[in-house]
Amino acid sequence: MDEEDRVTPCDVTTGFFVLGHCGRPAVAGCPSCGKPVCAHHAGPDGLCPECADRLAGGPASPYDPRWARGYRRTYYSESSRAYNDTTWYSSFDDYDRGGFDAGGDYSFGGGDFGDGDGDFGGDFVDS
Amino acid sequence: MTAGSPAQPAHRAAYLAFDRFPSSKGSAVHIAQMADELFAAFGGGLLGVLGGGGLPGYQREGDREIVRFGEQVPNLIDRAEAFSAWAADRLRPHLATLEVCHVRDPWSALPVVARDDRRYRVVYEVNGLPSIEMAHTWPWASPAALAKIAELERYCLARSDAVVVPSRVIAGALERRGVPAGKIALVPNGAPVPGPAPRPAGAPDRYLVYVGAMQPWQGVDVLLRAFARLADLPGLRLVVCASVPERRAKPVRRLAERLGVADRVDWRFTLPHHEVAAWLAHAQVSVAPLTGCARNLDQGCAPLKVIESMAAGVPVVASDLPAVRELLDDRVHGRLVPADRPAELARAIRILLEYPDEARALAARARDRIAAGLTWGHSRAALAEVYRTITRRDDEGRWC
Repeated sequence: MDEEDRVTPCDVTTGFFVLGHCGRPAVAGCPSCGKPVCAHHAGPDGLCPECADRLAGGPASPYDPRWARGYRRTYYSESSRAYNDTTWYSSFDDYDRGGFDAGGDYSFGGGDFGDGDGDFGGDFVDS
Repeated sequence: MTAGSPAQPAHRAAYLAFDRFPSSKGSAVHIAQMADELFAAFGGGLLGVLGGGGLPGYQREGDREIVRFGEQVPNLIDRAEAFSAWAADRLRPHLATLEVCHVRDPWSALPVVARDDRRYRVVYEVNGLPSIEMAHTWPWASPAALAKIAELERYCLARSDAVVVPSRVIAGALERRGVPAGKIALVPNGAPVPGPAPRPAGAPDRYLVYVGAMQPWQGVDVLLRAFARLADLPGLRLVVCASVPERRAKPVRRLAERLGVADRVDWRFTLPHHEVAAWLAHAQVSVAPLTGCARNLDQGCAPLKVIESMAAGVPVVASDLPAVRELLDDRVHGRLVPADRPAELARAIRILLEYPDEARALAARARDRIAAGLTWGHSRAALAEVYRTITRRDDEGRWC
């Protein structure tokens, strides 16, 4: 194995419409996720961009089911004030929401929703 | 507080979409073009989209930040609302510097338009209305719920500064909902006119091609019924380049089996966009069998598959809908047939196959039409003009 083969490439995802990996020689491993990162992508403390962003103030545990609910509650309050209607924005009740549960037979087309990976897609509006 | 990453300057522009990006869907092509124009005009910006499926939650590309909402919230409305809240949070560090926010649906629009103290202008790009589309795709959705979504759309449209549509049919639908005509700008979809592409590996000698998603309004069922009527044509196959994962095609694949055409249909799922272009280029005919439903007729659409087929120089047979007539003239740039009529569709395809010189002439004229006025360059120039118009200020610094 020659020298070049031993270089660990930077694993940070790059690109706008067509994604790939950076591929520059890594200079560190991200202390949070372990991903190899190059000098260009290594942030403070050697963090990869994703971890740096998350640790800069993102939700502590996005997989906590209370997270979205907490976000919603805060947001209802703010947006309903802006809308001058303190009840409107929370007006999708359980009956309304029930028609949009994932996983039913009818979710096949998903419309433009649900075309992502897994049944929890949510993307919308194809042309 | 979820500021961008450290040392990232505050942005002057943001593009938000409750849509996965990038993906193999036409909507992703559209987002790429529109967001690229926005960020080119404002020296970078923040792109907030859906993630998941292995896409990174955060990317920085020069002066652009890409943030993705990847939480797996099963219920769609719950997820959409969580996205709105997430987007509001993501925008907060940039509120003092933002000049334009470009949004694509009510859930990305709401956090942007609902701020009374906003200093930025809002461009709402309407490619479809969820209150109409979701009636097709979520059959259990109650009329009351859809009415609330329509109300959300009305609220966001009313508070936007400009509304961008890809088709005059959609513009008409919005005017009927009370959006002033002067606020609506037509920015048609576009396509690049590609050079020669190598024949895709495994491509049949003679094939029809369908490119796109599998929602009921796409009319793939109509195409399969038409294809069943072409069984006498030796060696003719149908290639379906589906922009959605394989499991989404189960119902239409079952239909293909019932119709006895399954062994003549080749399925390709979630191909990268550049590979789809090659499949288009080598097809005998490209078919856009959109149905005559409320989504296509009342709301309107601007099918990229038609524009991209025309650009690729492949003869097009499409449903005769007002939105499609904006793109091509029957017997000049392609063939238009009544929607939902498999026999008529099969007949039009058969004639093009039997008269290849005429088919080639149609395709050449279609390609010229795209080059002359329907490339992404044309679309982006129209969008740039919208940005210029809404950000114009008078001598005292107020919006004109």
